[in-house]
Amino acid sequence: MKTCIACGMPMESISDFAANDPSKDYCVHCARPDGEMQSFEEKKENLTKFIVKTQGFDERAAGKIAEDMMRKLPAWKNYFN
Amino acid sequence: MEISARQVQKFNTRKKIIDTAYRIFSEKGFSVPTSVIAKEAGVSHGSIFVHFPTLNNLLVCLLSDFGDKMGRSLHILAKKCDSLEDLLNEHLNVLEENEAFYTRLISEKNRLPDEAKSTFAFIQSTVAFHFSSVVEREIEKGTVKKLPVHMLFNTWLGLVHYYLLNREFFAGFNGPVIRKYRGELLSTYLNLIRKS
Repeated sequence: MKTCIACGMPMESISDFAANDPSKDYCVHCARPDGEMQSFEEKKENLTKFIVKTQGFDERAAGKIAEDMMRKLPAWKNYFN
Repeated sequence: MEISARQVQKFNTRKKIIDTAYRIFSEKGFSVPTSVIAKEAGVSHGSIFVHFPTLNNLLVCLLSDFGDKMGRSLHILAKKCDSLEDLLNEHLNVLEENEAFYTRLISEKNRLPDEAKSTFAFIQSTVAFHFSSVVEREIEKGTVKKLPVHMLFNTWLGLVHYYLLNREFFAGFNGPVIRKYRGELLSTYLNLIRKS
């Protein structure tokens, strides 16, 4: 089973993949409306907003969690070297 | 590709260390020295460092395994169900299965190294992700009150954590809390958030 290179989500069914395309390495939540993968900045901002919305954390703390999360994912490896 | 006997042995030693560390940390907390884990696992102290150069590596590995397990079971369920009750039941299943470890984790979290703390934050974010996808569907259907998603999530977690952190009062020193209070926790929480 593939996991999304940009957020780590398991991708099992076709609807999990960006643009319903199982050849993609990233998921529907990490894609822009045109199917391309979000940029580092977009992903960080979206993850931060999501953490604030779902867990109510302070924005700076949420941003740190988002960045730590991205640090471990293959899509963003080069941004942390 | 053929796997050599040496690779099999390496894999088995690593597994033995992980299983033993999981048990010892659950029983005694995360400050147990690695020498104790080595002794209990029946491996040399040096061999722990071959597999996990620092205690932090070992902790992160255990937490990631736990997080993957939690993530997988909630992911499968959240996709196919519209019922918050089913999702919370599954959340409790994973917590019940790992109750001693998870209770140690929430009680000692602030003393863990930063990387282990972040790994714990990812686990809770994964739970929050699945929780929000199901609860938003229930809010849309009108079955759950229109409250902020983070308050709905934090109220659930706060309730469950309170029982776990006070397990000696609720279930005796080593008694399982989730098994004893699952029904009451679930029905009370759902009654609080559901529209009548």
